[in-house]
Amino acid sequence: MADNMKELKFLIAIWTTNLQSAMEYRAAFLTQVIGMMANNFIYFAIWIIFFDRFKDVRGWGVNDMYVTFGVLASAFGLVSLLFGNAFTLSDIIAKGRLDYYLSLPRPVLLHTIASRTIASGMGDFIYGFISYGLSGYFTWDGLARYVLATLLAATVFASFLILTQSLAFWFGMMTNFSSLALNAMLTFGIYPITLFDSYAKLILFTLIPAALMGAVPAEFIRAFSWESLGQLLLGAIGFLTLAIFIFNRGLRRYESGSAIQIEV
Amino acid sequence: MKKYWSIFQITLINSLAYPGELVGRSLMIIPFMWIFYQLWKVTFSAAGADAGAISGLTLRDTLWYLMLAETIELGRPPIARTMSENVKDGSIAYILNKPYDFLLYQFSTAMGETIFRAMLNAVFGGLTVWWLVGMPNHPEGFLIALPAILGAWVLHFCINAMIGLSAFVVEDVSAFTWIYQKLAFIFGGMLIPLDFYPQWLQTLAKFLPFSSAIYGPSRLFVTPTAEFFINVMSLQLAWIFALTILLTVVYRRGLTQLTVNGG
Repeated sequence: MADNMKELKFLIAIWTTNLQSAMEYRAAFLTQVIGMMANNFIYFAIWIIFFDRFKDVRGWGVNDMYVTFGVLASAFGLVSLLFGNAFTLSDIIAKGRLDYYLSLPRPVLLHTIASRTIASGMGDFIYGFISYGLSGYFTWDGLARYVLATLLAATVFASFLILTQSLAFWFGMMTNFSSLALNAMLTFGIYPITLFDSYAKLILFTLIPAALMGAVPAEFIRAFSWESLGQLLLGAIGFLTLAIFIFNRGLRRYESGSAIQIEV
Repeated sequence: MKKYWSIFQITLINSLAYPGELVGRSLMIIPFMWIFYQLWKVTFSAAGADAGAISGLTLRDTLWYLMLAETIELGRPPIARTMSENVKDGSIAYILNKPYDFLLYQFSTAMGETIFRAMLNAVFGGLTVWWLVGMPNHPEGFLIALPAILGAWVLHFCINAMIGLSAFVVEDVSAFTWIYQKLAFIFGGMLIPLDFYPQWLQTLAKFLPFSSAIYGPSRLFVTPTAEFFINVMSLQLAWIFALTILLTVVYRRGLTQLTVNGG
């Protein structure tokens, strides 16, 4: 317990430093945040146009899209803000940049992924709440479920990133595969789940767990159910455990490039 | 012009230096086309148009339209980001003092990077769509749309270069590139063909340069008529002319604002 508190204090210290560092360039920070929110608004307009013309996709309407897109954006934003290096973990591994983290007395994975903040993530995170507010499903207890669902969806998403990017321990540079996996996760997460047959749904709960980042959290937010909460909890715990296991297994194979590096 | 042709050739050959990278990047179009197929299959079915057409497009037309739209979009290199990086790391100083025109140099490298990238996207995207809905109704449409596809990349270059030049003032241009991309998604008809839009939005979108860069060539591919060809090409050439002049003016003004970092 004392160890956990120590790591939590350490994480908070890193996040504070990252945020202060990002805020140092205030204009750039605000441009990124506002730019990302505008970007999301414009992207979502496509779905408004679509549902204005075609009304619904197998019972899935524009209001459902607001919630799904919102929770996905908030979860994505949260991971970008708090664990920005999860997006580039494969590069860090392949280029031997784990040396720096290995030489310090802190959990390697946690320290590595928390060491970068992507400022635009703040825009995604805030936008998600606005999207939920506009969905027509807003209630105060729904908001509490939104926060919980965002945390669990972010856990699944971060775990998925760690899992796919840790393959770099075995296969070296794999920027293309990483971006393919990321794009697949986000694309499948945004589209209505009612589009997919049972085989595709099986993939969306396991191989590319996009359903646990979009459709299932959205279902839980709209109305509480033990089933959707159970799926989310099981998914978050399962994928996180697997991600940590794979990273630690890979770490045994890690070879330092002995390059001189400075982490700033 | 010989030196720009040489720059184009060098970049073209360079783009083949890492075939794994090139192929890997192009595979992304496969899940996109598959998910588009799922969405539009359900939508056409719900609209009672399984074998018919919505606003003049069948399911097969829609999928081939989207394949070409994605090919154009995924094929173009991130010019604005490259120019922004050049400004941020100071390497712009070495590019500006070389004996070539900065914009023509950027254009030659952009086209060199685009060709194989787009070809592979078209191959993977085309094979996926062929497997899902069959061959296009007008395979010859690809050749007829080819000038419009090249024009689309010129248009994309003009707009992206202008965004890139804004790095001379603001340094980081990522927010502008995101917004441009999403405007191109909406007004270019990249995820939904413009024909499915409400009439007022169609009229507005078809006039803007985004539609000349995505909708025009893609629709020409599935409806390759002489009349439509003339419409698409004349609007596209008008936009290329206007944006080239604007880009030249912006570049000249931008040079006076540039601050070189390090170098």
